[in-house]
Amino acid sequence: MTKDIQLKKSHRNFDDAANAALLIAVFTGIWQIVFMLGIWPTISLPSPFMVAETFAKIIWNGSLSQSIGITIGRLLGAFAISITLGTLIGFAMVKFKGFGKTLNSFSAGLLSFPSIAWVPFSILLIGFNEFGIMFVVIMSSIFSIMISTYSSIRNIPSIYLDAAKNIGAKGFSLFRYVTIPAATPSLIIGLRQAWSFAWHAIIGAEILMSIVGLGHILSVGREFLDMSQVIASMVTIFVIGLLVDRFLLHKMEDRIRRKWGLDYHR
Amino acid sequence: MTKLQAKNIVKHFDHNGNSVTALDGIDLNVEEGDFVCIVGPSGCGKSTFLNIVAGLETPDSGEILLNGKPISTPGPDRTMVFQEGALFPWLKVIDNIEFGLKIAGIPQGERREISQRYLDMMQLTKFADSYTYQLSTGMKQRVAIARALAMDPEILLMDEPFAALDSQTRDLLLVELQLIWERTKKTIIFVTHNISESVILGNKVEIFKNRPSKIKKEVIIDYRRPRLAEDENLQKYYHQILDELKSEVIAQSKDEIQ
Repeated sequence: MTKDIQLKKSHRNFDDAANAALLIAVFTGIWQIVFMLGIWPTISLPSPFMVAETFAKIIWNGSLSQSIGITIGRLLGAFAISITLGTLIGFAMVKFKGFGKTLNSFSAGLLSFPSIAWVPFSILLIGFNEFGIMFVVIMSSIFSIMISTYSSIRNIPSIYLDAAKNIGAKGFSLFRYVTIPAATPSLIIGLRQAWSFAWHAIIGAEILMSIVGLGHILSVGREFLDMSQVIASMVTIFVIGLLVDRFLLHKMEDRIRRKWGLDYHR
Repeated sequence: MTKLQAKNIVKHFDHNGNSVTALDGIDLNVEEGDFVCIVGPSGCGKSTFLNIVAGLETPDSGEILLNGKPISTPGPDRTMVFQEGALFPWLKVIDNIEFGLKIAGIPQGERREISQRYLDMMQLTKFADSYTYQLSTGMKQRVAIARALAMDPEILLMDEPFAALDSQTRDLLLVELQLIWERTKKTIIFVTHNISESVILGNKVEIFKNRPSKIKKEVIIDYRRPRLAEDENLQKYYHQILDELKSEVIAQSKDEIQ
């Protein structure tokens, strides 16, 4: 039976891949047709082949991998700080109820605050440097982490806490062995959201504030009227966002949901 | 020997700004090895009383003594089986059963020994590595009972644990619970709204009055075990309790209409 399920699963993976390939083929085909119709000059809309050439070039001269490395490095650093601080503040919000309620309302307002709007503030406060960029990323994602930590813990069914106290858990053991695992499925959803905010923010901040990184090569493309490089950068940004969300965060969420039996009643 | 003593337990609730008296002086003595069932109309405060015994709620006045010592916080000496099982979905069956032992700092080898014993007793051995969503409601309650017993409590508290079960599963567990009680000699307080359950299980049945709640009557059931649901001889106890409860249920429905 397990073999059956595995077969089914690999079959489904194959179908997914085939569908994705088909979608890309159709999209590229339409692009090629539009290009050949000559509505836009080549400088505004290059062909798929020209973009592929640019890709080959920036991969070959190492500028793509360098940019990806720098962007991801900044992002991971900032996101780690964001998660650590956001989680700790979230715990404090749960612990001190009045503080938590007030901060929750403020954070909800700041959640919809556009990440790019932090840039001028960050430039004047910190400057055109790594920390300035990281500051924008942190401010764009931390509120999401705070709110999700706060609400995930508050929404734990009290029956779990009662049951745990009843068999001797209290203080740190209650927190470590019940509060955290009970809140995990919902924490993961918050993490995914925060990741997408952080990803928006890093590219925006790099376009305006950086001299290296993915956002930077995107804006260099514009300055040199090199649309191929603009598109190549955009495709890279899209692919990385997709890979991280689908193959890392989504997989994590799936695994936890399956283990918990949350996807069981279908 | 008196295991547990409730002295004049009073509890008020806030209901839309009005104070409602749920428990109006509950006095109860539970002897070592007793199987005490508490029956009463729904909303009479019997679960509240059990929560107070468990230390999950605090009374407004009165006290609970366990082996003569007052208690006020939850503790593994009074483990509870909840109506919904309240198992942890992130843990396997075996880890659910061992949860309290792990918290208590018992080494793994010893934990395995204890959990194995209760897995066997509750016929769960095959399901040790399952997650709770893979189990039927009846299986879940078996796990919940095993988890509570694994702590080797002074007293086992059960809050309508069979209310959500189908009748075949319930009949089976009613017999098993009697066998477990005889084997482990545990003191048990079992809350239910189901009179038949109380008659089958209890050697004492405490009938709770409608709110504000007091103990209206205690019925002693001295009859051989294991008692079966279909036993005709239990009928006279059933009717005795039913007669006492009828007026309470009528009083309660009047309350609700007003």
